[in-house]
Amino acid sequence: MGIIGDVIAWLTDPAHWTGPSGIPTRVAEHLAISLAALVIASLIALPIGLYVGHTRRGGQSAVNVANLARAIPSLALIGIAVPITVLVDPQVGFKVLPTLIAMIVLGIPPILINTYTGITEVDRDLTEAANGMGLTSRQVLTGVELPLAASVIMAGIGSAAVQIIATATLGAIFGFGGLGSYLVQGIAQNDDAMLFSGVVLVAALAVGAEAAFGFLGRALRPHEVDTATPALLEPSQPEGTPAVG
Amino acid sequence: MRFSRRLALGASMLALVIVAAACSTGGGSASKPTVKVGSDGFDEAKIMAEAYAQVLEANGYTVNRDGIGLGARKVTAPALESGQIDLKPEYIGSGLSYYDPTKATGDPKNNQQQLQTILTGKGGGITVLDYTPAQDQNAFVVRKDTADQLKLTKMSDVAAVQGQLKLGLATDCPTNPVCGKALKDAYGIDTSAATLLDACSTPMADALKAKTIDLGELCSTQPDIIVNNFVLLQDDKQTQPADNISPLVRNDFLAKTDKAAFSKLLNDLSAKIDTPTLADLYKQVSVDKKDIKDVVSTFLKAQGLVK
Repeated sequence: MGIIGDVIAWLTDPAHWTGPSGIPTRVAEHLAISLAALVIASLIALPIGLYVGHTRRGGQSAVNVANLARAIPSLALIGIAVPITVLVDPQVGFKVLPTLIAMIVLGIPPILINTYTGITEVDRDLTEAANGMGLTSRQVLTGVELPLAASVIMAGIGSAAVQIIATATLGAIFGFGGLGSYLVQGIAQNDDAMLFSGVVLVAALAVGAEAAFGFLGRALRPHEVDTATPALLEPSQPEGTPAVG
Repeated sequence: MRFSRRLALGASMLALVIVAAACSTGGGSASKPTVKVGSDGFDEAKIMAEAYAQVLEANGYTVNRDGIGLGARKVTAPALESGQIDLKPEYIGSGLSYYDPTKATGDPKNNQQQLQTILTGKGGGITVLDYTPAQDQNAFVVRKDTADQLKLTKMSDVAAVQGQLKLGLATDCPTNPVCGKALKDAYGIDTSAATLLDACSTPMADALKAKTIDLGELCSTQPDIIVNNFVLLQDDKQTQPADNISPLVRNDFLAKTDKAAFSKLLNDLSAKIDTPTLADLYKQVSVDKKDIKDVVSTFLKAQGLVK
């Protein structure tokens, strides 16, 4: 009971809502680095996933490599990155880049795997029919496969976002702010209210991201494809939604 | 069922063996019971705990080392108070601040007495034995090039050039009276823009090396200082608590043994450990990657503390 009251008191204290270590600043820092990591991870993982899914070549090796990256502990990744990135810049290279790299590496696998799975699970009859109607390979990808796989891909980006938001807390160990600084300082200062408030805020961001991408995923469900290109769908498979990976 | 019965049988046989072993070793020397030694998780604390263990073993005690490297004070303090361990090395300044953040000073005698006053009432009574001459204090260090360029030798020199220095301070600095407040009051240093990192940690040393920060908070015996040729700024206004190291022993353990002889063993050991000695032992373990037991045993033999 006590700790819940303490956390509420901490979170509602106006003093914690201003200044360079206030909640808005920390949330902004946390979101900025998370968004950067998610965009970069998507830019890397989406094209690869689409390519291997569409061509059905090298899919298994791409998935295996991505899963291997998942197995590296993020803190170790940051530790390995620091000596290299400080050569770039003593400030950004120490405080930001190592954590960003760890976040990107963690973000790639769910996006890549879901993109690959989403594309390969599109019914082959549909792609063959599209081919037969004279669509080019690129048109099949953008007009048939991508719309049908969109909700699965979005689910992958969503779970990458959750991973990334959680990993961003590690940045505080290396002097990057973000919500992790409440965890690191809460432990160091023996301040459980600060510590658990940090936990609540990180969890809220992660759940919020998950919900947002879930909503996006549902909005992208193929019923839109239904009306746009009805000829491509047979009545027996109106959904055509592949299993969420 | 069969499994649990077998387990029960195994457990009771194990218990028998333990009792038998206790009886056989106990025998004539019932005054030398098993000592459960514990310590914090970092190398220096483990070195001190291992030194206690080896000295006690050389004098007929049986030592249980399960608690060595147990964790931070948040873990070891309750472990000692609850009797999970009997003995641990403690930094008397930081140990005192754990219980009362307002009491620690730059005078080790004071810190020892204050800590004893508090620990007398903890866990059925805990005794603070003699402290080492060695101090592992919070130490503010700069790179050699910074020290030369800005002519820094002591903390009083910092205020005048603080605009040119990026500070790296402990993560508890904003609330720790001997950090943020002491630096402001005693030296006029503004710590509000400092990068907060774990004090005495590798990231702190790395940040200093990488020029992410220009002044960092390390510990005075930390090998990174020797290895990287960092310059230790003298705490000329004595703001940092004196962190000499004392063995803390549970009184209920002392009651089971010859208290005076037991205390003398550890006090004689502590007397031999000064700051350069401790820094060297620490470096051998953490930088040269030598085995703690070997480093400690070589040292104890050289000092004539064990044969």
